[in-house]
Amino acid sequence: MTLARAIEIVKADTIVAPPNGQVELSGCFAADLMSDVLAFARSGALLITGLTSDQTVRTAMIKHLPAVLIIEGKDVGVEMVEAAREQEIAVFRTPLSKFEACGLLMQAGLRAARRSGAYPA
Amino acid sequence: MDERSIGHFEFPILGRAYFLGGRASTSVKKALREAGVDDDTVQRVAVACYEAEMNVVLHARSGYVSVDVYPSRVDVAISDRGPGIADVTKAMTPGWSSASDEARALGFGAGMGLPNIKQQSDLMSLESEPGQGVVLRLTFYRGGGNGAGS
Repeated sequence: MTLARAIEIVKADTIVAPPNGQVELSGCFAADLMSDVLAFARSGALLITGLTSDQTVRTAMIKHLPAVLIIEGKDVGVEMVEAAREQEIAVFRTPLSKFEACGLLMQAGLRAARRSGAYPA
Repeated sequence: MDERSIGHFEFPILGRAYFLGGRASTSVKKALREAGVDDDTVQRVAVACYEAEMNVVLHARSGYVSVDVYPSRVDVAISDRGPGIADVTKAMTPGWSSASDEARALGFGAGMGLPNIKQQSDLMSLESEPGQGVVLRLTFYRGGGNGAGS
């Protein structure tokens, strides 16, 4: 699924546009805990999160995630916007809850971009 | 361990500067890419560095990350001046954390940092001097690593 189609499905506003136009998503990963994203997200995925900090953008950059979708219509601060521009990460915002956004995207065919395995015990 | 380093870089980390957390690691990632290190290794180093950098930001006064690139591996040392880790075994337990609510508000401090670092790296050693600080040494074998980055 393209990023543009995913954004349309969740009725999101564009906060920072993707720098390279059309993006094909490898799938989706949703978490508020950045350690979970660092441990398990696969590259190329859309990150759905309620965390509106520049840590979200840096985590996306580290993991090669091209775009972040902020849920619940939360305010996105200027620091996060600046970090996103600097790291070339697209940022969108949906009024939907995380559950609704995930549900709609999965229903439309977007799949989990999670690598196998678990945290070491 | 007798290979010559073919690239060396260091980046400072400021303790308590929450808004800067992750800057050193994004610089490490860029530097490794420019040095021609393969994507999987770059990814694993970057993830481990980010978790370690956030540990320094959240717990210590200051620190730095030092990276050496060798033909067959990447060595990383993250050193800090701070309280140290009182109980290393406890700190390695997934889910155990001494982080503040502030850390949790940044999406960290859930006790997954050190386990995640261990998962990404091929060799890991942690030296802690209570009241002085922590030195975390990591080795990542280039190509043919543990695959955690893909």
